[in-house]
Amino acid sequence: MENFITSKESLEFLKDAFRKYYENNKIELPDRFGRREFAFVFFGGKGMMRHIGFEKKIHLTNFLKEKSPCHTYYSSAYYQMPDAATMQEKNWMGAELIFDLDSDHIPEAEKLGYVEQLKIVKKEFYKLVDDFLLNDFGFDKKYIELYFSGGRGYHCHVKNPKILSLDSNERREIVDYITGRDLKDSLVFHEQVTGTKRYRGRSYPSGKTLKMPTPDEPGWQGRISKGIIEIVNEIKKSEDPIEKLKEYGVKQTDAKKLLEDLSEERVTRIKEGRLDQSKTIRKFFLNSALRKTAVSMSAGETDEPVTCDIKRLIRLPGSLHGKTGFKVEKIALDKLHDFDPLEDVVVLSDDLVKVELKQPFNIKMKGEEFNLGSGEQELPAYLAVFLIGRKMANII
Amino acid sequence: MVELSTLSKYSFLNASKNYVKDNGLSVEELLDDPLYERARTTGIERLDNAFNNRDAGNRSLATESDCIMELLSYPIARMIAVCIEDVYFKRRYALGEAVHAYKNLINEPTSFLFDISKEFNLDVKYSGDTNKIRIYFVDYLRNAPTRYKEWKMINRGLKNGYIQISHRDLARIIQEALRTRINEELDSKSCNKAIYKTFSSDIKRIQNIVLIHRKNIEAAPIGKLDITKLPPCMKTILASIQAGENVPHMGRFALVSFLNSLKLNSNEILKLFSSAPDFEEERTRYQIEHIAGRTSSTSYTPPGCEKMRTYGICPVDKTDDLCKKKRHPLSYYKAKWSQEKNKK
Repeated sequence: MENFITSKESLEFLKDAFRKYYENNKIELPDRFGRREFAFVFFGGKGMMRHIGFEKKIHLTNFLKEKSPCHTYYSSAYYQMPDAATMQEKNWMGAELIFDLDSDHIPEAEKLGYVEQLKIVKKEFYKLVDDFLLNDFGFDKKYIELYFSGGRGYHCHVKNPKILSLDSNERREIVDYITGRDLKDSLVFHEQVTGTKRYRGRSYPSGKTLKMPTPDEPGWQGRISKGIIEIVNEIKKSEDPIEKLKEYGVKQTDAKKLLEDLSEERVTRIKEGRLDQSKTIRKFFLNSALRKTAVSMSAGETDEPVTCDIKRLIRLPGSLHGKTGFKVEKIALDKLHDFDPLEDVVVLSDDLVKVELKQPFNIKMKGEEFNLGSGEQELPAYLAVFLIGRKMANII
Repeated sequence: MVELSTLSKYSFLNASKNYVKDNGLSVEELLDDPLYERARTTGIERLDNAFNNRDAGNRSLATESDCIMELLSYPIARMIAVCIEDVYFKRRYALGEAVHAYKNLINEPTSFLFDISKEFNLDVKYSGDTNKIRIYFVDYLRNAPTRYKEWKMINRGLKNGYIQISHRDLARIIQEALRTRINEELDSKSCNKAIYKTFSSDIKRIQNIVLIHRKNIEAAPIGKLDITKLPPCMKTILASIQAGENVPHMGRFALVSFLNSLKLNSNEILKLFSSAPDFEEERTRYQIEHIAGRTSSTSYTPPGCEKMRTYGICPVDKTDDLCKKKRHPLSYYKAKWSQEKNKK
């Protein structure tokens, strides 16, 4: 996408499309509306306009109609004075707990298409909500809100009143928990003495085995065991176990050795919770089970700061994402499975417009297949906005 | 009715405060009446002990009078601590009281700890039948020393929002809650003139000790390190450690690995940490030597700016122009040195 400049006409077109949307649609505004800071980025504008507060809802809706911003944000935090110019003066009162799962942060996502990327994010999202937020943390469903970001991911807001006042360090602990950071393997695997010898009236251990917790133990102990058993089953049932192991990042030679080590007898022992001392096996299982069960918010480089940042700006639900034209949409937890942004949040009109497309592009939107060649195309407005937003086309 | 000896052992309890109130004792009486001379001496002893030994100390509680004096010495000590007017001293005194309480608490029955946790509004569940203690994770996060790996939430069993903890863990959590509470209470009060007058010689004596202690820290030569050239992130972490604030594990790690890269030896690094109120030489030495690779197979390299940001320990509001050009705290420090050379 190097050196592609979005033309002035294109920016005007985008702005106009957004204005029409904000004129014709009612936006549901966040709770504690008057305590939130708002921020905007405009089409063709430089930088962000922030520290804005609105006393009345009508002021915000009018603002959106008049200025039709490219990106619209509000603060996850509540402030005494949301429109004060410095954070100090704003006087922080509390903030929702936010998780930002974006395909940007998932390893090797860039090789995949838009639809596949979103699928991966969805999978991570289920882990986050089902395994962690509902189960381990025990949050009530009514406090968990889920949004499509309008881009390539999902946001989750936890609004349980008890967590609003958590500080940044305390939130980091939650992130560490969810992403599996700093797990002490000695807590998961512990040595158990299998036999003793007596010598001069004292007993000494003569044999040791490595025990792992049962899958129903709380927290990570049980989670790792569950993960290990799943992996063992997966490998054993697989038609090409070597290939399966490679998927887990094991090298060809190591995979062979590991497979030899995984005799039937050993598998049974593992399922009973007895891991052998073999270092390769232990390391492989711990790492793989961790990766399998932890939420990948990242591969090290993250949007974890989103969760730890207690003064974060996030996209306003109901607003449009300037790079896609998609609506930031609230999704009911049980609807996530069937949610398809290319169907469900395409809200702009289908009036036809002419664009110059930089390169061939295929996509299915609103149930319609588009197989586009480069050059001049006549397309529905929603697709034109999407392509211009991604710097792949200009209006003509 | 709680027993008097319990009240005096845990003088921070509401019941203890009420006892003082119910007996209609005025501040004037406490300060002037010869009857309470022993409470006043004990109050000073609490402060000295807390500052020097990290523990306000145990005294005999054999008689009723012992108990009353012990009980009254606590509010006196607190009022004097405020008059010392030194944040570092206040933090250290609060720690000393909290550690003192902890040492007593671990010997009490769990049901007693359970009652106290209610007073600190901790959401704790305890069943006498199974002897299982569970705490709501938010209260755990607020109070548990999660900078230590074994306290990290990931290394604890969390289910339905509750974490199972041991008797000793609960005592430790109460210790932290108490420390936070005393810190807040001391910070919100200002020095009472009558107190200052009565204890002025002791107050001045303690202020002097604190002053000398501070000078020792500041004057201690630290090898080849020039503190003024440290990048803002390291300055912030170091300042927090020395002010006695809790620095998360990653912050401590970043600082130690950074200093290790500057070829400071363990003793020199240890010196920097020694002013932290919860300083424990053996433990800190072990951790430093582990990071430095002297007791482990790897010598860790300090995290770069990006990683620091991820961990939220890059002080965004304190970064300067040089920070913008640099991507690693070490290169910042080196650049500062060469800047100075060029000037000469």
